[in-house]
Amino acid sequence: MSPVRVKITYCAECGYEPQALELTKALMYEFGGDLSGIELIPWESGTFDVSIDGSLVHSMRREGGFPEAAAILSAVRTRLRGA
Amino acid sequence: MTITAERFAQGLTYDAFKAGMSRNRERLEANEARVVIDEETRRAFRSLARPLRVLVLAEDWCGDVIANLPVLGALARESGTLDVRVFYRDQNLDLIDRWLNQGKYRSIPVFVFHDEDFRELGHWIERPAAVTELRARKRAEIFASHPEFGPPDAPVDQLPDHVRAALQAELQRMRDEMTPFANAEVQRELRELVVRVAAR
Repeated sequence: MSPVRVKITYCAECGYEPQALELTKALMYEFGGDLSGIELIPWESGTFDVSIDGSLVHSMRREGGFPEAAAILSAVRTRLRGA
Repeated sequence: MTITAERFAQGLTYDAFKAGMSRNRERLEANEARVVIDEETRRAFRSLARPLRVLVLAEDWCGDVIANLPVLGALARESGTLDVRVFYRDQNLDLIDRWLNQGKYRSIPVFVFHDEDFRELGHWIERPAAVTELRARKRAEIFASHPEFGPPDAPVDQLPDHVRAALQAELQRMRDEMTPFANAEVQRELRELVVRVAAR
């Protein structure tokens, strides 16, 4: 198992900080040092994207809405096992 | 009746909303300084037979609030015919859910115009359509002239930090350049709304 990196790009001017922080907290509690990093990217245009090692696993524009934390945790878990 | 006098009175005045801002106050004040009310709009608002009560839904983190609320503030100040009360959207979901954008989005700002008896006369949401359209066109032009930014719909987290910063600077420059047009469009839409309701 090798560390993976998660990036959360959120629309700052839409007030999406709480959702970004909630997801960050869930990732930190679940995986701790197994992650090489969690990067928060303040953006605009209604964005809420989550990528794991460069693979986009959730896009507000593509999927609509915010991701379920459980789905992101599951995707990270799968990545950690396969990495 | 969409709101009682008692509830309306609980809203913040424009100045009280500004005083309570936890962020973006400098940006809002910079936008205030750029608002120029045109003569036609000033005349339309000053000539209202009776004052209007304007319920506003807003949050201080919202870019469209920071951009457009100062226009309403200037109209109220220069006309003397608007009683503006601001409510925080996230603390007043019962209010925002009455004026959803396209029936589903809690977009802000929302300006709801009422007569003295709190009968709703009309409302305005988020930003002018012409601004949204121009912004989309200019955004497409930015991406077309900067291949390093990649496709417009690609996730920005894939961009190197310095490229992402350059893109952010370009988008900010675009918004700054659009401000006079955007302010004029807000005025035009609000003026047309007020002229329409005054004719009833």
